[in-house]
Amino acid sequence: MTTKFLDKVKVPADRYEMRLSGSGGQGMIFGSVVLSKAIGIGGDAKNVVQSQTYGPEARGGASKADVVVSANEIYYPKAMKLDFLLAMTQEALDTYYGQLKPDGILLVDTGLVTEFPTKNYYGMELTRMARNDVGHIMVANVIALGAIAAITGLVSKERLTEVVLEHAPRGTEDKNRKAVDLGYAEALKFKK
Amino acid sequence: MAKVLMKGNEAIAEAALRAGANNYFCYPITPQTEVAEYMAKRMPEVGGVFLQGESEVAVGNMIFGAAATGKRVFTTSSSPGISLMQESISYMAGAQLPCVIVNIMRGGPGLGGILPAQSDYFQAVKGGGHGDYRLLVLAPSTVQEAVDLMILSFDLADKYRNPVMMIGDGMIGQMMEAVEFPDKDADPKPPDESWAATGAKDRKPRIIKSLFLDPVKLEENSWLLHEKYERMKKEEVRFELYKVKPENEFMIVSYGTMARICQTAIDELEEEGVSIGLFRPISLFPFPSTQILEEATKENVKALLTVEMSTAQMMEDVVMAVVGNRPVEFYGRCGGIVPTPEEVKEKILEMQKTYSK
Repeated sequence: MTTKFLDKVKVPADRYEMRLSGSGGQGMIFGSVVLSKAIGIGGDAKNVVQSQTYGPEARGGASKADVVVSANEIYYPKAMKLDFLLAMTQEALDTYYGQLKPDGILLVDTGLVTEFPTKNYYGMELTRMARNDVGHIMVANVIALGAIAAITGLVSKERLTEVVLEHAPRGTEDKNRKAVDLGYAEALKFKK
Repeated sequence: MAKVLMKGNEAIAEAALRAGANNYFCYPITPQTEVAEYMAKRMPEVGGVFLQGESEVAVGNMIFGAAATGKRVFTTSSSPGISLMQESISYMAGAQLPCVIVNIMRGGPGLGGILPAQSDYFQAVKGGGHGDYRLLVLAPSTVQEAVDLMILSFDLADKYRNPVMMIGDGMIGQMMEAVEFPDKDADPKPPDESWAATGAKDRKPRIIKSLFLDPVKLEENSWLLHEKYERMKKEEVRFELYKVKPENEFMIVSYGTMARICQTAIDELEEEGVSIGLFRPISLFPFPSTQILEEATKENVKALLTVEMSTAQMMEDVVMAVVGNRPVEFYGRCGGIVPTPEEVKEKILEMQKTYSK
């Protein structure tokens, strides 16, 4: 299991590169847009650039989106060396792990991923939690967003919830709110 | 107004509406389709015209027709689609019609690919269609700048009665950044309709055309256009300098997304003690030749580097600008591959070895 603890996580102010990866339908692009908006718009907003694959890669099953965050102006708009990687499938982990910095943070859906290139990761059974604890598999990505907020501290749980609800289809508000809460609370358990 | 997070394509679409452009004709093509998607939703809300043509050839001619009425009109497309519009663009330049055309460039030639490129530089600034004409060409490097330049484009199109083209690579269209729109919607002064086809009630008909069978008349029209382009060269040159200092030994010339990639490379080179700055043309026609020459010939500058997502197109304008006063080198990738800051850095370090001998 994980050897990294939350209290050791440092988020640099100059440039923080995150990638949300999985397969089509897992809501990685939606997640990246919500995350970018939560971090990049509002009172204590930082600069963000969101980009996603639209090329041949996006035509297959894999899906990824990058979010670059900085207190300063962001020039190069894409991720170079990842500070944070969310991998929702084995394929995504295998494909992108090589781009994670040695001290970068890895969050994995341990219900879907079985082989790990490292012992340094945060593992949560995101999809199982979505199905069993929240009641809909669709919110696995939102649980991940809650966890990202807790782990990185880049955005408050309140602000994240606000943006998730702005984007959530009508009638799914309760499930989405619960998903953020759950992801946030579970990730806080990674504290020593 | 508060900032909003938007994809470049959507921001371009919204900016056009803010500029009062309520006429939009298009044909979908990656990587600019979100403009059409956004417009399909927004145009009915503002009571404007959204029409998807049967091809880009049709769209070009629809633009001609709408522009002839004096109303603000625009289209967006990507490289192969822009090629199909060239005939009507030439006709509009000849007939002196204002309109805005956005090219979110993808790799070519031919059908090419769908990933970001800057390989339509020549097409945009050197013609593309036939005849003695120019487009006023602007190139944003951020989503915010795309918004600002889009609004400016309509003013410039009206000012010169000439098509204005904004070119961005696929990255500009596809990435999301926080943007701010002007507080108030643009309140364009009612366009000068002394020339427009507004319905010839109680007046003589006005003929809007690019056909002049009398060579004297055609020459007259060509010189009249030429005068406008000369006026653009005086009044519409736009550029930005980044870390350009008297002690610099090298200067990069780069535009659009490529320029911001160079900015990251320059920041990293600075930490390694390399003294280098960036000249970023914002207007590609008129090209900031005089200003590039001025910066290039500063005492300490040893050489220039042009960086493009093409196989050296803008480089020709840079070479012409420095008229042999300094060596101009090139680095580029194409086919949809976006260079990393690391690649630019390596090229500069290599140049440093060559020119420091």
